[in-house]
Amino acid sequence: MQSDTRKKLLDLFSEANGDFISGQKISDILGCSRTAVWKHIEDLRKEGFELEAVRRLGYRIVSTPDKITENEIRLGLKTNTLGQTIHFQEEVTSTQKIAHQLAHEGAKEGTLVVAELQTAGRGRMDRTWFSPKGTGVWMSLILRPPIPPQKTPQLTLLSAVAIAQAIQEVTGLVPDIKWPNDILMNGKKCVGILTELQADPDRVHSVIIGMGLNVNHEREQFPEEIRDIATSLAIEKGEKINRARLIQEVMLKLETLYRQYLQHGFMPIKLLWEGYAISIGKEITARTLNGTIRGWARGITEEGVLILEDHDGAIHYIHSADISV
Amino acid sequence: MMLKIQEIREIIKLIDQSSIEEFVYEHDGTKVHMKKPNGNVPVEAVVKTVVEPAPKVVVKEEVPQAPAKPASAVQEVKQEEKPKQEAVNVENLHKITSPMVGTFYAAPSPDSPPYVKVGDKIKSDTVVCIIEAMKLFNEIEAEINGEIVEILVQNGQLVEYGQPLFLVKPE
Repeated sequence: MQSDTRKKLLDLFSEANGDFISGQKISDILGCSRTAVWKHIEDLRKEGFELEAVRRLGYRIVSTPDKITENEIRLGLKTNTLGQTIHFQEEVTSTQKIAHQLAHEGAKEGTLVVAELQTAGRGRMDRTWFSPKGTGVWMSLILRPPIPPQKTPQLTLLSAVAIAQAIQEVTGLVPDIKWPNDILMNGKKCVGILTELQADPDRVHSVIIGMGLNVNHEREQFPEEIRDIATSLAIEKGEKINRARLIQEVMLKLETLYRQYLQHGFMPIKLLWEGYAISIGKEITARTLNGTIRGWARGITEEGVLILEDHDGAIHYIHSADISV
Repeated sequence: MMLKIQEIREIIKLIDQSSIEEFVYEHDGTKVHMKKPNGNVPVEAVVKTVVEPAPKVVVKEEVPQAPAKPASAVQEVKQEEKPKQEAVNVENLHKITSPMVGTFYAAPSPDSPPYVKVGDKIKSDTVVCIIEAMKLFNEIEAEINGEIVEILVQNGQLVEYGQPLFLVKPE
């Protein structure tokens, strides 16, 4: 968490969008002296920001460091609530764990936990998620949706759509979504989403959306056993991606879709999801703890449940399974 | 949620061993009515489905306390039977139900021991299982202090909204 002055300063540069802001304007808005402004600017430089200072014009931000601390995320963040409270830590066991704790302590909706390094990044069923330093985006977002608990699984499809849209916006790459919420590039996984719910039988306390995005990994940085099934956006794009920008865009898309969802329900989200869906219409295998069903993916229901038609023509409604194409 | 035949069989067994004289369960147009002529004769079960197009949203389970018998006589029978029947008296057992449709996981991962087993003492914030749907994981807390008497579902089983998962003897 950072000071109000720092927040205001970054908001100001966000609005300027790369243009100059005069030192006088900054000192007026921050309510401090020109000398103090200079000191704040120096602080930003020390943290890796490149700032240009021109007489009569003022200051402008030329480039931001390849970091994802609160500074970089806030600079250019266009949301109203999501990501407006940021808990950045250099190293954590898992962002999900911290988000749980914050949620329990009453953290506001939209609180975002971000880390450079996860020492115990978690996937489903306590599987580990490979999350080395400086390469990816490891974050967990707290939502408090006013919906009944049995509807919350739809938020996992919503998250997948938001991240797919954000990737498309920032990189130009068009990812695929594999039911319900794996994000793939050329058949390899680049984003994992783990969503956890805290609820009474009739009331949601919090939904915590854990997102792991492989952004700037080189191929060699992946452990050998996952090299053929995992990829990063940089590998696919052929250049490094600005992670802070990607986080901002994910927050913005999530906020937009989430509002739409609360207002109009799952239908608009379903249509967007189908636009990215990779396995619909194809023959797939659904693996569950109780066995495997092979058949044709016929689509999803209005609740997001996968419709699978087996070779005898019987329809199965799949609520949970690992899908392989 | 339709009751499965095993579940009906289980209920018959439990009622048979208990001092309950009459049991009515109604949901989604299906009504299960069981009645004992008196406390000692085995029950006969009647399952009938009535036409009721609009499904109810809320699961209702009722165990009527007052049987259609002279109240005083029944009271006496109940009081006599209570001490030895307590362990299997469904009237006193609390059900932990599923808050959503999904897969029941008894353990945090395939290699871990289950969250709880029969005989375990639980507190209201004890995690008893996970229900997962569409990769959303819901750690279910007991919401009651007591002891696990029975686990009604299998690991990996698909459970319905409102389906009983555990029977708990409250403390």
